[in-house]
Amino acid sequence: METLSDTSIPSQRPPEPKTFHRWFIALPFLVAIIWSVVGLDITLSRLLAAPGDAWSIIRQMIPPAFGEVYERGAVGKIFESVYIAWIGTIIGAFVSLPLAFLAAHNVAPLWIRSPIRQLFNAIRAVPELILAVILIPVTGLGAWAGTLAIGIHSIGTLGKWACESIEDIDEGPMEATKACGGKWVTGMRWGVLPQVMPVISSYWLFRFEINVRASAVLGMIGAGGVGSELVSQLSFRNFPAASAVLIMTMAVVLTIDTISAAVRRRIIKGAETTDEESRTLEAITDLTGIRS
Amino acid sequence: MNDSTKTSERPVKPKPRARSFLIALVLLVLTFWAAVRVSFDLSTFWEVWSNPIWSKFWPIPWDWVFTKENTFDPLIETLQIAVASTLLGCLVALPVSFAMSSLTTPNKVVYFISKTIMNLVRAVPDLFWAKLLVTAIGIGAFAGAWSLSIFSLAVMVKLFSETVDAADPRPLEAARSSGARHLPAVKTGVFPTVFPSYVAYSLYIFELNIRASVVLGLVGAGGVGRVIETQRQFFRFDRILGLLIIIFGIVWVIEQISVSLRKRLV
Repeated sequence: METLSDTSIPSQRPPEPKTFHRWFIALPFLVAIIWSVVGLDITLSRLLAAPGDAWSIIRQMIPPAFGEVYERGAVGKIFESVYIAWIGTIIGAFVSLPLAFLAAHNVAPLWIRSPIRQLFNAIRAVPELILAVILIPVTGLGAWAGTLAIGIHSIGTLGKWACESIEDIDEGPMEATKACGGKWVTGMRWGVLPQVMPVISSYWLFRFEINVRASAVLGMIGAGGVGSELVSQLSFRNFPAASAVLIMTMAVVLTIDTISAAVRRRIIKGAETTDEESRTLEAITDLTGIRS
Repeated sequence: MNDSTKTSERPVKPKPRARSFLIALVLLVLTFWAAVRVSFDLSTFWEVWSNPIWSKFWPIPWDWVFTKENTFDPLIETLQIAVASTLLGCLVALPVSFAMSSLTTPNKVVYFISKTIMNLVRAVPDLFWAKLLVTAIGIGAFAGAWSLSIFSLAVMVKLFSETVDAADPRPLEAARSSGARHLPAVKTGVFPTVFPSYVAYSLYIFELNIRASVVLGLVGAGGVGRVIETQRQFFRFDRILGLLIIIFGIVWVIEQISVSLRKRLV
């Protein structure tokens, strides 16, 4: 009975932990935020006026003038963006794959992998647009500058991702090739490559999705693609045409994302989950983000 | 026993299907077509060194670069854009992410609408937003901060709503079974478990925003990109190169700080 009555005693609440020191951690963040808000001259009236200005532009954008931009060849421009992204991804993939093998810590010695890792980091630090700014005077205006910018930038990210997936492998097969007397290259070809290829090729596709967006942007500074079309329509304040370009770009971006995500899932998960019905369902999931 | 002494036959290699050949062929043709359309030209690489344009990149005029009005004021503006837009984007992202997660959404309609809007927002590249807002609310850092806020909101809700999806549902269930209404239940049941990743993602968004805010100026949305764009029109690539070295030095330092903070959080 003693033990039972114990539970009937209302237990004391534990004392609340002291949270005072958290304010000291938050202080630098607060200072940074106030500094930026003051520095950018963000006042409440400006903040509240902005949605109204944006809304008046949106009103002028409806209805989109699809016919006009079609006659100006916007469809070709959008496809040019896709071509730039595709060739750029291929350049990135071809250059980054061998480099990734030389950068992974489980297959490459220190003296060779550390400079290559630094190279990947350095490339990733520079955005495509900055690369294009530097490349345009060298190659001239046009799609090739954008392709090279995207290709070079992709080397950095693809190399890093591929290198990380090589570092995650099961080292058994590599050891087996070594035990059979295989050389380093043989070990890579038969011990490592079959393990990492599905993951790496899905990374390539994922990078392609990102590159489609990036190449659309590159057109804004004259490196080929749909961006130039948007810029010229907006600078003429031809809003119906601009919204048509925007909607067409979004449609192409979303279509490519959906197809690419479906292919990536097929590569990673294999065929067993891809009967007709679940394929459609998963495509809808990709497009809307809604799981059923 | 004698089974094991027999040398086993190699399994037959599966023949590639006709469909695989067809897909490969179509991709190959498309690639060639794309290469022609982007005027693929490897000679750029060996002609590049004899290109007279290189002399325009060198020497770097350091006394021009190390001045307040040319480099440091625009750079500070860039940082301010990144901080302000991270703040705005991530603050708005907090309630939207909870609405967008199937675990904590108040109802299906809110869930559906927020998911669709955010997917559409993400389908537009960040600099398109910047250009649109520059046209709508005027050239300058304010438009840049708005566009980056929108973009960080879209990326943040994507990352964070997936974290909320994966959160432990049991504390939420406990809160609900004790009779809590929706908001208090989410606040006490889910929020504490996902808050560290919220802060970590905010820092990650901040890193993305710093990189993005460097190039915002190329479309007239303020920050250090404005200087790059001006010098580009004067073909002063030596100045651009000097600027870029300074910018990426500073961006790199900030990123390292942010990365080390994130590592401590997660």
